[in-house]
Amino acid sequence: MNFDINAIFQIAGIGIITAMIHTVLKQMGKEDMAHWATVIGFVVVMFMVIRLLDELFQEIKTIFLFQ
Amino acid sequence: MMKILGAVLIIGASTLFGYYKASLYAARPRQIRQLIHALKRLATEIGYGSTPLPEALARLSSQCSRPLNRMFGTIADRLRTGSSDTAKDVWQESVRLFWGQTAMKSPERETMLELGSSLGISDRENQLKHIELAVTLLQHEEAAARDEQLKYEKLSRSLGVLGGALIVILIY
Repeated sequence: MNFDINAIFQIAGIGIITAMIHTVLKQMGKEDMAHWATVIGFVVVMFMVIRLLDELFQEIKTIFLFQ
Repeated sequence: MMKILGAVLIIGASTLFGYYKASLYAARPRQIRQLIHALKRLATEIGYGSTPLPEALARLSSQCSRPLNRMFGTIADRLRTGSSDTAKDVWQESVRLFWGQTAMKSPERETMLELGSSLGISDRENQLKHIELAVTLLQHEEAAARDEQLKYEKLSRSLGVLGGALIVILIY
């Protein structure tokens, strides 16, 4: 449980920082770089979520399929 | 405890890096302006004083401020010691050697290198024209550099802090 809460806060922090980087870059007139920063942040968060989902499916497999 | 210490170190390092980049962006137009003033002084020395190039450069180096005075001083010293190198070779070598210590970029360096190939080999009017051309090019570069400073100075500062925070969150 403890681990889950930490991961959620980590993802939230990445979201906040990415949004700030996006705003700063956009204000300085570099829209393309801003979009790239957002995409990279999204991909990083996506990897973390996929890892968590993978753990969930492993749990389900161990519980239901292979006793 | 160690984790927090590491986080503080990472954020501090990236913040300092961002401020360093910002200071480079701030220093570039200032140094270009100093270079323009130095070249104008050199034009005066050549046009009205007819000073020989080593003496003119030595006087220039005593009037310039930090990054430029060493460059002009080195050129003057090497011209005075009278090795077999031409003024062009000495000038271009010294400009390349000291360029890393300035905040200026390659367009200004190319202008200076080109100027070096025409100094000290022709009559007064020709040299004055070449210096004038270099000054004009440098003034254009200064305007561009000031635009860049307005755009990127704040940006690199905030990106340094934010990037450090992002790294810390990613590896926490």
